[in-house]
Amino acid sequence: MLTLAIPSKGRLQEQVAEYFADAGLPIKKSGARGYSAAIAGQPDIDVRLLSASEISAALIEGDIHLGVTGEDLMREASPSLDGLVTLIAPLGFGYANVVVAVPEAWIDVTTMHDLDDVCAAFAQRHKRRLRIATKYVHLTRAFFARQGIADYRIVESSGATEGAPASGSAEAIVDITTTGATLAANGLKIVEDGTILESQAQLAASLTASWNAVARTAADTLLSRIAAREKAKSSQVIRVRLNGKAESILAALASTGTTILSRSGDDYALVCPRKSLMAAISVLKANGSGAATVEEVDYLFEPSNALYAKIEAALRQA
Amino acid sequence: MAGFPTYNAALLYELEEQASSVLTEFAQKHYSRVEPAVLQPAEIFLERSGEEIRRRTFAFTDPSGHELCLRPELTIPVCRMHVEQGGKFPARLCYNGLVFRHQPSEPERPTQFYQAGAELLGFPNEEAGDIEILSLAVESLRAAGLAGFDMRIGDIGLFATLINALEVPVQWRARLKRHFWRAGYFEDLVARLSQGKPSERQQLFAHLGTLPEAEARAAFEGLLDVQGGQIQGGRSREEIIDRLIEQAAEAAAVRLDPRIADTLTRFLAVTGPAHAAFADIRALSRSLNGKLDKEVAALETRVAALEKLNVDPANITFTARFGRNMEYYTGFVFEFWSRDSEGEVQVAGGGRYDNLLENFGAPMGTPAVGFVIRTERLLAARRETGKRV
Repeated sequence: MLTLAIPSKGRLQEQVAEYFADAGLPIKKSGARGYSAAIAGQPDIDVRLLSASEISAALIEGDIHLGVTGEDLMREASPSLDGLVTLIAPLGFGYANVVVAVPEAWIDVTTMHDLDDVCAAFAQRHKRRLRIATKYVHLTRAFFARQGIADYRIVESSGATEGAPASGSAEAIVDITTTGATLAANGLKIVEDGTILESQAQLAASLTASWNAVARTAADTLLSRIAAREKAKSSQVIRVRLNGKAESILAALASTGTTILSRSGDDYALVCPRKSLMAAISVLKANGSGAATVEEVDYLFEPSNALYAKIEAALRQA
Repeated sequence: MAGFPTYNAALLYELEEQASSVLTEFAQKHYSRVEPAVLQPAEIFLERSGEEIRRRTFAFTDPSGHELCLRPELTIPVCRMHVEQGGKFPARLCYNGLVFRHQPSEPERPTQFYQAGAELLGFPNEEAGDIEILSLAVESLRAAGLAGFDMRIGDIGLFATLINALEVPVQWRARLKRHFWRAGYFEDLVARLSQGKPSERQQLFAHLGTLPEAEARAAFEGLLDVQGGQIQGGRSREEIIDRLIEQAAEAAAVRLDPRIADTLTRFLAVTGPAHAAFADIRALSRSLNGKLDKEVAALETRVAALEKLNVDPANITFTARFGRNMEYYTGFVFEFWSRDSEGEVQVAGGGRYDNLLENFGAPMGTPAVGFVIRTERLLAARRETGKRV
């Protein structure tokens, strides 16, 4: 069995469900309480619904093979994540930056160097250290150490961190933000070079789980669909006759990232990155190709499975 | 489990025999043995040691809600105990006890180990105090049976003296002193200080910095009303204005003279056998009207005292940027190094800390100097170096 954990609630759950459904992997809840689920046609995959932070812990502990959760939560849960978990694919949603924020009234503070000075002056003046409220204790500690700041102390917060300075329980905070609106509403501003981590939802694999043959095969199947769908979303297929100039035209196309999907005589099917489509069309025209059509495809399965290969490579290293 | 030491009969015997030699030496020099509580209020360690030690302190909340910790070292508990019990100064105190360190990233390192140490508290003569503690360290290591060792010495006060002797903006001065022992950080700071291009904001500040302080203060009050939000947390409006005025004065001051940056870089590059290193510092001091001469002379006195104890000065390395990474040291610092089966290992270390005792209610600036032996490491070093003989 391959165990895959996905978030059990909120906007993140909806986005993950959409993401999998879009890749042809619709998740159907089973069980009376809705904490387990299955993917149609994938009997070897056991889907569990957990909270995002439980998923981070389960990946690190090896209780699950694959999971979807925020990179921020994984990095906070383990200072040495790389040997325990490998990030397979960023999913393009669940964006959240972990940032250092200070009161807007601190108009003398724009950079971490300013904060360093303020911390030292504060400690001297008040005979106690400046307090930073955060849920991200490990990330904060590591970041402040890299910045060479020692004159501070962490106040662990469990609830609304952004309210800590107003309530007087801290002077500054480290928290996640997407637009900065919540911080601004609380009279806080982000320190310019105070972004600790740019996080988003990640599909990740545990390197400590037991990867038997069944789990590996199931992961390969699952990830090949996701990879094929991702490739299809980021590419378009160009059908074109190259009028006997295949060699020179293909050489000219190299800079656009276009590759050959298939050919039949002089008729080519080319895979072109979506963002360089028009550049590729111009190259074709300038080099004397025939008429071209462009197609959207649902899936683009490649012979090798790059996402699954990441797991195999990481497992070999771990 | 390497991280959780256990002690069998043979190891206990060896440790106790070694401790007994060390403690006998302490007693002969009139140091009284004390034993602070294993459980300590966490606050003082967190306040004085910073997040780095906090990360390695077993801190927890007791059932009544008090923040406690397992003592991560013994200097702070011994100092507090002495002041709180109304002890007199000068005081000579010693101890041999377990300390506890969380080792989150290095699980093979021990979470508990013994520290045997001595602290000389409130002894007014700095030179005599340093030498007394240095001698006690050398003699107790020898009494324990350690044949040879290398020493590394430094002086945190020396860098502060150098900075004060230079034309450096006041805020940079504090920053440089705070970070001088950090390798990459310092070079980066000097580069920015000597080459930084002023931003528009800095130019505005530079202008305000030329105004009389009252006018600058009024200007910043206005700026804060317009730009700033509500005052939150424990940092007051006055503190913000004070720092803006400092920044303005700094911006108005000339950029750091490249010759000063050069002096700083040369100073921090000094490292080597004590006498050669002192000659380098003296050479630097000549270009600063001899402002470091007194400090170098003080260092030479300490090395001379070590030579009297038959410590070969060739085995004493002075490093200008050497500052023990514990935040209460203020002056002369030293380490003793030997080798165990895995390589070089620090077996003892200590130094001067003249502003710790006031935290517990002793008069401001009550001087203190002390050292501590890492007993398990000393045992391992004796085994290893004994083998080679």
